[in-house]
Amino acid sequence: MTVRRLLIFAPTVVILFLLQSYFWVPTYEEQTRGNPDRLHEYITASIGDASILNPILSADSASSDIESMVFEGLIDRDEELRFRGRLATSWDLYEEAFFCVNEAASVPGLGRAGGREVAEYIQRAKDGQLAMASEVKASLDNIQEIALLPAREFSVVRREKGERDDGETEVTIKVAAPVRLKLVLKNVDQDLFTSLSAILGKDYFSSFRGEDRVTVDQEAWKEKRAEYAKEVLPTTEHNPVVVFHLRPGVTFHDGHLLDANDVKFTYEAIMDPRNLSPRVSDYEPVKGVEVTDPLTVRIVYKRLYSPALGTWGMGILPEHLLNDQALKEEALGLGKGPEDFTMRQSGFSRHPIGCGPFMFREWKSDQYILLDSFEDYWEGAPNYKRYTYRIVPDLLTQEMEFYAGTIDSYSVQPHQVERLKQEPQYQNFSGLSFGYTYIGYNMRREPFNDRRVRRALAMAIDVDKIIAYVLHGQGERITGPFVKQTDYYNNIIKPLAYDPQGALKLLKQAGWERGPKGWLEKDGTRFQFTLITNSGNNLRKAILAIAQDGWKRIGIDVQTDLLEWAVFIQERVNKGDFDALVLGWSMGIDPDLYQIWHSSQTHPHQLNFVGFQNQEADDLIIRIRQEYDHHKQVAYCHRLHAIIAEEQPYTFLYVGKWTALLDKRIVILERDAEGAPFYRKITPTKTGTFTFYFNKWIKLTHTPIFAVEG
Amino acid sequence: MLSFIGRSIMQKIITLFFVSVVSFLIIHLAPGEPSQVDPLNPKFTPEMVERFQKAFHLDEPLHVQYLYFYRDLFTGKTVSWKDNQSVLWKIWERFLNSLPLFVVGTLITWTLSFPVGIRAAIFRGGLYDRSTTFFSYLLISIPGFFFAYVLIIFVVNTFHVPVIGMETFGLGEATWPNALMDRVWHLLLPSVLGATGGIAVLSRYVRGQMLEVEGQDYVRTAKAKGLPPEQVHYKHALRNALLPFVTMFGLILPGLIGGSVIIESIFSWPGMGRMAYEAILARDYAVILTVNFMSAVLVLAGTFVSDLLYLVVDPRIRL
Amino acid sequence: MTKVPPDLLSGDRSMGAPLVPKQTRAQAFWQLFRQNRLAMAGLMIFVVFFFVALTGLVLTSGRAPFLDPAQVRLQEKLRPPLSNPHLESLTPEEAPLLGVYVLGTDDLGRDVFARMLQGAWVSLTVGFVAVGISVFIGIFMGGIAGFFGESHVRVDHLLSILIACTGAGVMAGGGLISGTVILLLGLGLFAYALFRRKAATTGPVPVWLRALNRETLSVDTVIMRLVDIMLCFPSFFLILTVVALLPASIYNIMIVIGLTSWMGAARFVRAEFLSLREQDFVTAARALGVGSFRIIFRHMMPNAMAPVLVSATIGIASAILTEAGLSFLGFGVPPPHATWGNILSDGKGFIFDAPWLTFVPGLAILVVVLSFNLFGEGLRDALNPKLRERS
Repeated sequence: MTVRRLLIFAPTVVILFLLQSYFWVPTYEEQTRGNPDRLHEYITASIGDASILNPILSADSASSDIESMVFEGLIDRDEELRFRGRLATSWDLYEEAFFCVNEAASVPGLGRAGGREVAEYIQRAKDGQLAMASEVKASLDNIQEIALLPAREFSVVRREKGERDDGETEVTIKVAAPVRLKLVLKNVDQDLFTSLSAILGKDYFSSFRGEDRVTVDQEAWKEKRAEYAKEVLPTTEHNPVVVFHLRPGVTFHDGHLLDANDVKFTYEAIMDPRNLSPRVSDYEPVKGVEVTDPLTVRIVYKRLYSPALGTWGMGILPEHLLNDQALKEEALGLGKGPEDFTMRQSGFSRHPIGCGPFMFREWKSDQYILLDSFEDYWEGAPNYKRYTYRIVPDLLTQEMEFYAGTIDSYSVQPHQVERLKQEPQYQNFSGLSFGYTYIGYNMRREPFNDRRVRRALAMAIDVDKIIAYVLHGQGERITGPFVKQTDYYNNIIKPLAYDPQGALKLLKQAGWERGPKGWLEKDGTRFQFTLITNSGNNLRKAILAIAQDGWKRIGIDVQTDLLEWAVFIQERVNKGDFDALVLGWSMGIDPDLYQIWHSSQTHPHQLNFVGFQNQEADDLIIRIRQEYDHHKQVAYCHRLHAIIAEEQPYTFLYVGKWTALLDKRIVILERDAEGAPFYRKITPTKTGTFTFYFNKWIKLTHTPIFAVEG
Repeated sequence: MLSFIGRSIMQKIITLFFVSVVSFLIIHLAPGEPSQVDPLNPKFTPEMVERFQKAFHLDEPLHVQYLYFYRDLFTGKTVSWKDNQSVLWKIWERFLNSLPLFVVGTLITWTLSFPVGIRAAIFRGGLYDRSTTFFSYLLISIPGFFFAYVLIIFVVNTFHVPVIGMETFGLGEATWPNALMDRVWHLLLPSVLGATGGIAVLSRYVRGQMLEVEGQDYVRTAKAKGLPPEQVHYKHALRNALLPFVTMFGLILPGLIGGSVIIESIFSWPGMGRMAYEAILARDYAVILTVNFMSAVLVLAGTFVSDLLYLVVDPRIRL
Repeated sequence: MTKVPPDLLSGDRSMGAPLVPKQTRAQAFWQLFRQNRLAMAGLMIFVVFFFVALTGLVLTSGRAPFLDPAQVRLQEKLRPPLSNPHLESLTPEEAPLLGVYVLGTDDLGRDVFARMLQGAWVSLTVGFVAVGISVFIGIFMGGIAGFFGESHVRVDHLLSILIACTGAGVMAGGGLISGTVILLLGLGLFAYALFRRKAATTGPVPVWLRALNRETLSVDTVIMRLVDIMLCFPSFFLILTVVALLPASIYNIMIVIGLTSWMGAARFVRAEFLSLREQDFVTAARALGVGSFRIIFRHMMPNAMAPVLVSATIGIASAILTEAGLSFLGFGVPPPHATWGNILSDGKGFIFDAPWLTFVPGLAILVVVLSFNLFGEGLRDALNPKLRERS
């Protein structure tokens, strides 16, 4: 019967055809041995796809992984976290400071003085003709040059939004600026004006009345005159200046020569409101970027802002591909209106061109991103010919692909570390990550506004237990808000020990005593609150359970709740509607803590959602972000760390460790003085990256024997 | 006939309109905002969020947003909020990835279900029938991802070959039969997993239809006449039992855009389901709504096609 | 094909019946069902599962449960099944009830056996409530479509609904008070329109009233179009969207699964009602002046339940699977409720280090869902009159 035969034949053919394909697929060993190309290709995996491959627009880790390969910044940090030149060979950092001459103020020993007299007076003080404290002397010694700026008049137009109607009014502000003095400093000095007021008189700067020199044409805005004066005619002004000297002969992947205009363009692109760049806040303190010559760019800042230098690690965009002219042509080519066609819409974001070690080749959404090595890379082409970034959303299948040989490195989960470290064919690395997990308390609410309660809560949680059992030992305790492997972190401070009895004692001091049912009570109310976190994070879920359990033991009735991320953030965190929460911060190296810890940042939608307020901490935070001297900064940070550890607005839990697994056959290939190749074992740097020498990695067909182990 | 077609199309368009309204409302009235900007990222300021809202018309009243959205959709200008790519282009790309899974899965389902179901019907109540019944229920009772993991681990640990993704990475410039067969191999597991449910359901359905037809008088007559049983089963019974399956072809259509989220996530298969899932996570309203709309169109088109096929195939229905 | 009068549907309803056949319908059904060994096994497992779940509920709830599924013992994490606890490191209340970890412990040292017991009840609840919601909506919608299908929606109904919708829209848009007023007005008008008799035909009817009385669509069309609309959404995708957008909660999951799966039941009930409506016993009841609601609930519903019952049984199975799928994607029932689905998806990361965390819940779900499916299949066979004739 043909029908019957067909019915049996068809599925057999289909199934046999599918099954035979097995014989065409290479096994783990065949992939490395039988295929020389495979040795020149590095495959890594990520659980999420990149979103937009433009360093000034992206905000996700997958995109920045790729951007760090394709783009290159002016500087980056070396193994010791010091700044190191990349596209810039060197840079100078100095300051230009200005102040308005206050003719109404009386200078000691000089009386009321004009600009020239004050300048001469400062010069005399600098020459050591006046007695003064050593800090003042240091500040004066730092002054290189004093110049007199004549008085001038100018006007500024501001657009103001009316309070009732939505219309905007133009407010013209006329300014009659007095004579100003310009001081050029060798090093940035945030204490300059404090020092100057020591010789010019305590009130010399504070008594200057800028609003008298400002006139406003609109009647309705007159009362804002003082506010305007602060903006358009500041009494004192710090203008730190950075001058970058670019590396000559660096080209983009398309062969175009990099010059200072590309740097200026990158800055302007970030600041262009149409681009909606998430990095605006980093560059907002910049006053201007000037191109002095094709290889020199001078960046002047509006105010002291020490994190500024680090922001120049930002990948530099090619101006010739993204300027208005290029975008307009692209828009017209696509048949779209050029007016709302910005960098975000440009095809560049899916086909980036930079001057990093790898050139972009192909991107298949949710599948892979391919990069090829850039032969003309200024530091020499990387050893790998290709870099493949796979998107594998499931961790378990990532692991399976690692075993099957189609992923070269795998970030091991804490509970797998022990097992996988045993495997002879893999090498593994671990190090501390740049972030920490904490329990934050809403300090606006009872009873968390009491430091004793916060400390007691911290003492009732056995953090070592969390690290040992939840993280399987893959973490370290942390006591404060700085990155643990940097020197900003204060290693003297010891974590609060696990001490339920001590916690009960502290709580007793705060008025909480065990009630008849075993719960802690104060004035008849039970100590109860809700601890929340976002769903989908197993570690946080486990911490929730452990904290709840630990607190239950000392008689605190804790409810826990897991909320979906968007709801958690928008409804609870942003609105400050929580008792306590478990969250983590991932940190930058820079010690600027303004957004998370300054008391001005406690409003809804701001990041100091626990409501931490401390005058000394506020001062230190400001000083840290204004201090350009590393040693002074470290000292301030240690003090700030101590205050925060004392106040315990968070229970700082731990900083996680990452562990990565690589095939042992991947090594660092270097050449000695004669150019003969030799191999070196991959080792993580002190600061915790094992990919620091990635450009020199290569895969071999067998594990080499290293001359010097370790 | 023509009037039937016209009326049916009208009806489907009205349904479609309501579907579009309902899905739009579900998404926009749910709590939370699109996380195009991660609110906890210190790099985003409230002004930027506001600007994003303006760019996506989120500050307009709902009905205006609705009009904007469907105007963009019909002019093909809808862009994803996540990466500014054209949504239609994205869907097309993903559709091409999901297509082989769908084709192989359907092929396995339809070729396997018939012989299994028919045999079970012919030997009703026998060991074969009972074991296929049991196995088909076993297949639809396993939690899909559990089954998938067990299979993957089994295959990787036994054969040491990669199974995840659409191809083996790092093959370099492989010859085309190699590359093709490599892709076929990567299709095997996900499409078999995707087909299990279908095989179970369809083979049960085939069995049911066959039983129904075998009980009819004309089959009994044919048997009584002394025709060889094979001819009775495969000629008389099967032909009539096939009738409803012809109309089922129309109902396959929605599967084109379906794509299983779970299977695609596990196998990191960049298909439709994954895209839709990621869009939900990122609250990329544009993508969610477009996928929803297109799948509604396909469902309606599917029922329309199956109605038409019914008309063509079944001589008893005349309009 | 004749239908047995409803009074004879089950044994306990036959008290008023003058004639008692030698075998009630239930007995016939049971005899038939018993022959299906797979279905019997399914039923057995289902009964066992039900009691396990009930025991689980008793043992694991309350302030000091016998088996505390939330008891964290980190020093005892990832212990394999049947291992003895290290009693020296545990306080007495932390030690497992049975002296061993029957099914091992998870990554936090929680007793998997206790969690499975608790999860049994939660999973069962999710299945039952979700299906309960869908069956209820299905019967309601299907019943209305089947029984009142021929009535027509009048223009005034539509208008009042439109007003109510506008009100809801205004409310959603922010105008709380005015929105509520419009909404209530609309609802009031609707109620009035529903119970208003058609205006008498005598005398001149004003044009506007005639326009209001215009009949547009039949109720059946409206409901079936609604079913069509719902069927246009890919169900898992829709569930996922809603669950992902709403805050995670066990109620949301049950409600969403229920709200997206009533269409099958509605179609079955409608089809049954359409055929039952024409049957003699309904006509007879109507002739006796029995009210519509009594006819529906007393006479028609019991006869229409068979297919609904079958689809409900299978629906519970698929609701449990759906919950497991959602758990896998991270949108399942949130803690503190343990369900088999979330035990399974939490365990999958430990598949090499602690395989029991995956296999115990995985196989448990498999067995229970299988038993539901087989039971449902058996029910379908036994309730299908065509198959009955031949056996």
